[in-house]
Amino acid sequence: MTSLGSDDEATTRWVEPPPAHTTTWTGIRDPVVLILVLAGIFDWLSGNPIHSILLFAAAGSLLWVALRGTPEEADRPASDRIDRADRRSRRGLVPVAVVAAALFSIVVGAFGRYSWPATIAVLVPGAFALWFAWRHAAPFAPGVDFAAEPQKLASRGVLAWIGLFVALGLFELANLLLQPSFKTDSYIHPTLSVMTDPILASHAGRSVVLFVWLALGWFLVER
Amino acid sequence: MTSRYVTLVLYGMFALVALALEVRSRRSRSSIPSLSTVFTRIMRTRSGRVGVMAGWVWLGLHFFAR
Repeated sequence: MTSLGSDDEATTRWVEPPPAHTTTWTGIRDPVVLILVLAGIFDWLSGNPIHSILLFAAAGSLLWVALRGTPEEADRPASDRIDRADRRSRRGLVPVAVVAAALFSIVVGAFGRYSWPATIAVLVPGAFALWFAWRHAAPFAPGVDFAAEPQKLASRGVLAWIGLFVALGLFELANLLLQPSFKTDSYIHPTLSVMTDPILASHAGRSVVLFVWLALGWFLVER
Repeated sequence: MTSRYVTLVLYGMFALVALALEVRSRRSRSSIPSLSTVFTRIMRTRSGRVGVMAGWVWLGLHFFAR
């Protein structure tokens, strides 16, 4: 059942929830849960318990919702209920957000890598973004008609992107395995992380990368 | 040509392919969606949103956190 309002009204859309047993089975088979669990296991084996706890927590939350049989709201962004006028007015916050992100990057960039202050500074916006992703979707998404049915994407085109990222992931994994050990970098077979080390060695470099990381998060939250 | 050079060239090629896909997606009637469109589609579901954002948080932790 679908109900659409006018452009200036809150747009609301409902999707009939699937039967509970279907939702549970779908949730357990969800590739996102599997990917998060596998990534968490390998991160744990690599000696990064905080990283893997995050990944396990995200997977566990999705699984918990699936096992409870709560409708997953498939194909229905939570932002459907966000008023479009409100969405427009909130775009005015962009300059404020840019300044705040720049200040955050400069301050946090002064912290040493792998220090507790840097860890907490990354975890705070990260936790907020995860909570936001759980509860809402894009409040600002420019040019996206949330009332419309999900856009059908050509499978060939999607496969091109998937193929690229899978190939990059495998190449990164190959370089990781060609290192003397998981914790010893290789000059001949550098991973992306190793290549960014010289940039992240300076305050300015860390600040720029932090700003790019925040911008990427903003881009994703807007989807 | 050293192994390191080959590795760097391959990374560069991945970036070029990504750029080419993105440019091609801008053509009218292209069968290739833009990266933004792909992410928009993925993030229409809760598990997609949480999965993608968990990946983003992990990236930040990987580069900066303990």
